[in-house]
Amino acid sequence: MKRLILLLMLATSLAAQEVKVPDAEQFVGKPQGQPVSGALLDQRTNETGALLRCPVCQGMSIADSPSEMAVNMKHQVRELIARGYTQEQILRYFERSYGQFVLLKPKFQGVNTLVWILPILALILGAAVIFSFMNRQPVDEIAPPPAADEDPYLAEVRKLTGKQS
Amino acid sequence: MNRVVLIAGILITVALVVILSAGLGKDPQHIESPLIGKQAPDFALKAVGTGETIDLTQFRGKPLVVNFWATWCRPCYEEHPVLVSNAQMMQGQVQFLGVVFQDKEEKIQQFLNERGTAYPTLVDQAGKTAIAYGVGGVPETFFLNKDGKVVAKFEGPIDPESLQQNVRKAMTQ
Amino acid sequence: MTASLGRILILLSLLVSTTGAVLGYAAGWKKSADGLKWARRFALAFALLMIGATFVMEYALITHDFSVSYVAQVGSRDVPLWVTIVSLWSSLEGSILFWGFILGIYIAGATWLTRNEHLDYMAYTIGTWLFCGSFFSFLIAGPASPFHTVAIPPLDGPGPNPLLQNHVLMAVHPPFLYLGYVGMTIPFGFATAALLRGRLGQAFLRPMRAALLLPWIFLTIAIMLGGWWAYEVLGWGGYWAWDPVENASLLPWLTATAALHSALVMERRGSLKGWTVTLVQASFLLTILGTFMTRSGVFNSVHSFTQSSIGPTILVFLAAILIGSVTLLAMRIDSLESDSRFEGPVSREGFFLINNLLFVLFTFTVLIGTVFPLLVEAVKGKQMSVGRPYFDSMVVPIGAALLFILGVGPALPWGRATRDQAKRALLPPLIGAAIVAIIGYALGVRNAWTLLTLAFGGYAAQVTLGQMWLPVIQRIRRGDAAGAAIIDSQLRRGRRRFGGYLIHAGAVIVIVAIAVSSTMRTQQEVRLTRGESATVGGYTFVFTGTEQKNEPHRVSTLANFDISKNGKAITHLAPRMNQYTAMRDPLGTPDVYTTLKGDIYLSIMNIEGDAVGVNVILTPMVGWIWWAVLLMGAGGIIALLPFSRREKVPQADEGPVRIGANEVAIS
Repeated sequence: MKRLILLLMLATSLAAQEVKVPDAEQFVGKPQGQPVSGALLDQRTNETGALLRCPVCQGMSIADSPSEMAVNMKHQVRELIARGYTQEQILRYFERSYGQFVLLKPKFQGVNTLVWILPILALILGAAVIFSFMNRQPVDEIAPPPAADEDPYLAEVRKLTGKQS
Repeated sequence: MNRVVLIAGILITVALVVILSAGLGKDPQHIESPLIGKQAPDFALKAVGTGETIDLTQFRGKPLVVNFWATWCRPCYEEHPVLVSNAQMMQGQVQFLGVVFQDKEEKIQQFLNERGTAYPTLVDQAGKTAIAYGVGGVPETFFLNKDGKVVAKFEGPIDPESLQQNVRKAMTQ
Repeated sequence: MTASLGRILILLSLLVSTTGAVLGYAAGWKKSADGLKWARRFALAFALLMIGATFVMEYALITHDFSVSYVAQVGSRDVPLWVTIVSLWSSLEGSILFWGFILGIYIAGATWLTRNEHLDYMAYTIGTWLFCGSFFSFLIAGPASPFHTVAIPPLDGPGPNPLLQNHVLMAVHPPFLYLGYVGMTIPFGFATAALLRGRLGQAFLRPMRAALLLPWIFLTIAIMLGGWWAYEVLGWGGYWAWDPVENASLLPWLTATAALHSALVMERRGSLKGWTVTLVQASFLLTILGTFMTRSGVFNSVHSFTQSSIGPTILVFLAAILIGSVTLLAMRIDSLESDSRFEGPVSREGFFLINNLLFVLFTFTVLIGTVFPLLVEAVKGKQMSVGRPYFDSMVVPIGAALLFILGVGPALPWGRATRDQAKRALLPPLIGAAIVAIIGYALGVRNAWTLLTLAFGGYAAQVTLGQMWLPVIQRIRRGDAAGAAIIDSQLRRGRRRFGGYLIHAGAVIVIVAIAVSSTMRTQQEVRLTRGESATVGGYTFVFTGTEQKNEPHRVSTLANFDISKNGKAITHLAPRMNQYTAMRDPLGTPDVYTTLKGDIYLSIMNIEGDAVGVNVILTPMVGWIWWAVLLMGAGGIIALLPFSRREKVPQADEGPVRIGANEVAIS
């Protein structure tokens, strides 16, 4: 009986002093994945950490940065993954506090789509230019240039060796 | 005159020069806060000295100034008197709170003993509150209105004018 | 007094370069031989003044003359002598003086080497060189002056940034980088002269290509050294982070490599002249863009020099030469082209074009990724980041494609290939592809891109080695002694060919090593107290304790580890935490054990009393990257060595260069 009263007192005193830090649940809801542990947890932490930018470093990810801020963020990421949050949820959580600045991989939305599309457009444009350049040239229909058009050194060597490989 | 080359070249030149000159004069270390206009994340942390747990929501109804700092940060040392004197001036109208992370409690107590204090200083756990607020460095000061909404964020050591300006924002918005 | 001397030398260099530039252009316009002579004298004078000013600065640094502003900024009596010497380039003002120094040496060398040749072009060329020189003289004389006089000289200075004192590569990487970067000014001068004259004779190709190849060699090695330095010093275990300043060094390298390839087509076919000139111009322009990115404070980077006011000045110069080059190109590019014939896509020429497309695409992608955050902030006022994940996704396919054509291109003959020829050329190397891919799979590679890269690499390796040794094999079959065959065909006659294939061989190894080291890496955080051990990747790490080392400028705490595998002792590593007197936060230095198979890398995360937290990183094949790049450099040097008996170079464009019996051209 004494023990029970002691326990109750402990419980109520603890409840009165409960420290509460802001939690991801307020912002991205309940975990949408399964809890993770062990080596897989390390791996997933590094994967997600590699996508988040350390706010105080020069462009490093929180997975790579040794600064205390980055280490804190990485622990937060680890805890969230362990509880079962998905990468998507975690990225959204950090985006909420830091803005898109913290995402190392640009989101494919709005004006950001350009950074993904422009190189592809450049590839298509470049390929078109080359294609038209090659077709523009009058192709030599008379017998294709023989050994003379090869590497002259090789031609010389082949002449010397009597081969025509 | 090869038109294609000229037009392509001018386009690239103009685009490049415009983009680069727009970047001049901007501080690449400065991060805009996405929390402005949103509800400030709730927290309840232990205060240094008294040990009591202070909850953010208990200050609803009054504008709130939340200052993130640390004892090892030089600019924080310099801005501290500004915060203390303004907190005393605005007592009753505006509540001030300090939040320290990445620091040791003894050092914080020593700092406050030396430099004085006029409002509760809370200790963050593993920097989680700082992360929720998108704090990138210290000092950073957030201004909340009486409903707990973030109206402004100030990076770096704050001066009296900026402080009063932002407090006015918190009172009116 | 020393500061005044330095200021005078720089002001003189500004005067000399500006006058020389005007003289050079006037002489080119008037086709005046006398004017050219004077331009050359001014070029040499500029070089001497820059070299002199640099010596004055080094003297001031070494004698700790704190009345000179730059010495007061980076000098210190506590640091070792080598740190004092290299502090010349440790901070912004000194590094621009260093730029001027290297530029002076290049201009002097190039002026002297061309003293009897290409007289039609040289006036314009020297004018252009001195125009660039005058800009840098202006920077050093004005906004970025290291020679201010300090009214009350302090007794001691803070020393250079501690991060720059950590490793000997600080003494090597920047000089190589500047030799590469600044060297791009020389081919820029040649290309501009060709545009101004409206012609690009075949004879003029050789100096332009040599002028491009020499800085290319330096830049290739410099980029590798930068990566190696980051790897050895920064502690995150990687060598490339797509940091804006890293990208700045890569951009001109990419266009210069493309230019070297299109120049080969230009030499053979006479086509792609305008395009090659464009690439050469771009390479120089990108170095100016690069220096803007590093020094303007606009970009968030590990390398950023302290914010300064020279950003706008560099931007103005960049804009000016961009507009000038674009206008000149638009006006003259059509007159440069000669008749050209192209044999279609399935030929070596066709693959040269694809090579250029890929390199330019690579350049464009890196450039877009780097400036995109600026663009978004300018347009929408929002901040976003484009980081490693973006660049890795974009560059991996491009790199794989480049490796692919590195294999297929040289396998194809020049000119239109018949079906039979194509089959005989393209099928056998598939064996190499299969072998390498199977070995990789057997050793544990499962990542699809890496396996593909290995296959491409095996293919390319077989083609490269085959082509490299083909002349020797032919000679041996004929009956020549092996030794004589090698010396004759690879070192006496076919240096460019042999060198080129060596570069390719190095490149294959680099790309494969990058793929393997990035995807097969193991990383684990481990917390140990004294005497405890942990096992990562088959290796056992025993933490034997810490020790402290005291030096005048820093206090280092070493964490000692004994590493063994299956009971057999392998090595001992001691990563450090350095507390510099000049800095608040301690700086860690990792320790690395390199073997042929891979690296064991330890970097301290924190030390608390008897417990230490370390990052254990096992990276296979990473050491191969540094050495393969050195191989590329060696190949470049071999390709660059002049011919033993030179055909007399025409004074004016006489038409196609006759290739003598002792001269061998091309690949």
